[in-house]
Amino acid sequence: MTQDLNVIIVGGGRVGFQTTAILADRGHDITVVERDPEVCDAIADEYVATIIQGDATDPAILEQADVERADVIAGLTASTGVNLAVCLEAKEMNGGGIRTIARVERLGGEEYTRFVDDVVFPERAGARMAANEIVGGDVESISDVTETLDIMQVRVADGAPAAGKRLADVNFPTGTLVVSDDDGERIAGPETTLDPGKRYVVAVEPDVADEVMNLLRG
Amino acid sequence: MSSGSHGERKPEAELGLLDATMIGMGAMIGAGIFVLTGLATEIAGPAAIAVFALNGVVTAFTGLSYAELASAIPKSGGGYAFVREVFDDLSSFLMGWMLWFAYMIAGALYALGFAPNFLELLHVYGLAPAPGQVGAITLPVVEAAVPVSVGLAFTAVLLLVALNAASTAASGSVETIFTLVKVAILVVFVAFGALSPMFSTAEFQPLFPVDGSAFAIIPAMGLTFIAFEGYDLITTVTEEVKNPRENIPKAIFLSLAVTVVVYLAVVTVAVGTLGAQGLAEAGEAGIAQAATEFMPTGLPVIQNGGAIIVFGAVFSTLTALNAVVIASSRVAFSMGREGQLLPSIGQLHHRFGTPFVAILASAVVMLASVALPTKSAGNMSSLFFLLSFIVVNGAVIRLRRERPDMKRPYEMPYYPAPPVLGILLNLVLTSVLIWYLVQTDPLALVLSVGWILLGGLAYVGLNRYRSSGEASGSLADPGASETTAEPVPGEDD
Repeated sequence: MTQDLNVIIVGGGRVGFQTTAILADRGHDITVVERDPEVCDAIADEYVATIIQGDATDPAILEQADVERADVIAGLTASTGVNLAVCLEAKEMNGGGIRTIARVERLGGEEYTRFVDDVVFPERAGARMAANEIVGGDVESISDVTETLDIMQVRVADGAPAAGKRLADVNFPTGTLVVSDDDGERIAGPETTLDPGKRYVVAVEPDVADEVMNLLRG
Repeated sequence: MSSGSHGERKPEAELGLLDATMIGMGAMIGAGIFVLTGLATEIAGPAAIAVFALNGVVTAFTGLSYAELASAIPKSGGGYAFVREVFDDLSSFLMGWMLWFAYMIAGALYALGFAPNFLELLHVYGLAPAPGQVGAITLPVVEAAVPVSVGLAFTAVLLLVALNAASTAASGSVETIFTLVKVAILVVFVAFGALSPMFSTAEFQPLFPVDGSAFAIIPAMGLTFIAFEGYDLITTVTEEVKNPRENIPKAIFLSLAVTVVVYLAVVTVAVGTLGAQGLAEAGEAGIAQAATEFMPTGLPVIQNGGAIIVFGAVFSTLTALNAVVIASSRVAFSMGREGQLLPSIGQLHHRFGTPFVAILASAVVMLASVALPTKSAGNMSSLFFLLSFIVVNGAVIRLRRERPDMKRPYEMPYYPAPPVLGILLNLVLTSVLIWYLVQTDPLALVLSVGWILLGGLAYVGLNRYRSSGEASGSLADPGASETTAEPVPGEDD
């Protein structure tokens, strides 16, 4: 009944540690499994999680993270193979009720979802953030969804081709969906106008993203 | 309740080693010394000194266990949180249930200790007759006479509950100032007492009470065991401590060591000045009475030097009461968050930001308990701390065996001796205490057993409630905005 999840994070490196810190701040219970004693020390100093020191692919080590009681396991080491292995092991130990998340090292790691509940590709998430910062807030990726679809918030630029037009009058390429109207209160409809300076949530497929940018940003 | 945006309102780490130590000492220096010294002397005679010393030794083993667990399991739930990590549902539920009760009864004990000392303070200034002569207030409504001291205790609990329910707990620095004031007052007491002519003719013979034997020490240890429960309090705030890996074990040991030293000095002086007989008769206000005997009088403003000590007793019992109101509600809150009590108990109040329901639930038991005799409250509270600490020691052993690769920033020396000794000694104290209760205080025993049975009922009832709740699929999503899928709860979640 409690909202606090029991989470096992495998790999306490940069990704694993940041994830641990965020989750711990939200009040979840975290157990980190990490091989490197020095990394273990660093996490222990932060006092955010229970730590098991050892190789998580070794069932005797993983067992100590109390897999039976965990709600979620996230394999966040740099090696996709290790991440998959620990997720599968945990699924087996837990009797299948555990949610599994594996970090993958390349785009298109989605085929792994046959074996785990979800995959994360931190480099891509980081890259999106970097791209957002580089563009300076006019175009911001909102979240990573399945595969490659990108949902972003775009500020319509003055003098852009679509600026001031109604949606019905703008011919967006196939693979585009303007989701919200200018104040983010309503779903956009044909009558929605693209006012310059206002922000709109737009979903685009990557191969038409440049065209959409041209229409909205000029 | 969203665990998404700000989870448990985790405060920033801001308590230093001193603050953490003072939190531990706050409850210990509070009532244990002022309230229980007289009562312990009644049982054990001048050997009360040995009682406190031995209790310090016994409790040190459990202190080691606490230090190791606190360093390895970063949670602010006190002993309950550690046990929850290690044991199954039923054991951890019982542990929390017992610890919760121990704190609530401790609250009643401190409130009951506050009342006679408060009356003594009024008496010193001639505002009230001597504590022994204060009668009862007749309540026209219920047509029953309520003893003034019970009324006072009730009021004190009510006030502090209201305070804690409506605003977030006092910060660690306030606690530090409080504790330092208490210690300072006790230092004054010891200094004046040791220099007084009464002390030079101190009489520590016969060491044991006339009708007793050396064996009388053990029930007295049981009664006063509660005086050393402060390290559990430290572990209820671990997440707020700076550099916890080092500071928490240090704070646990420091608070224990300083407390033992202070206790021994105070008890020695009290027995030496007032005599075991007088101390025993004064009961909960023993220290205060001893002080009025030897402190200088005719001082400006405060008139009687003894008033400082009496004020110290009043102040200490109140601050200790405040500490256990917070502690008991934190245990209940943790249990609620873990789904081991009603979920509403594990939620913060939307307006006050306090674990409101947890505080109210604790308050009910505390308010009911002030009707108990002080001694029964002391016995019951000690009994439940003893039982809880046995489980905590067990948790250390079990973790070492089941999770050898768990990182333990602090590892206790000479493992497995300390936890094994801790369990054995606590068991000895528990059994003697129970035996003693059978002889002298059946009420406390019945209430204690009743509480355990009630816990059993609550556990079964809650499991039913939960399974019916899950059957209708009312499991909320974890509230984190990024999570799109619902977590699949484990079997025993």
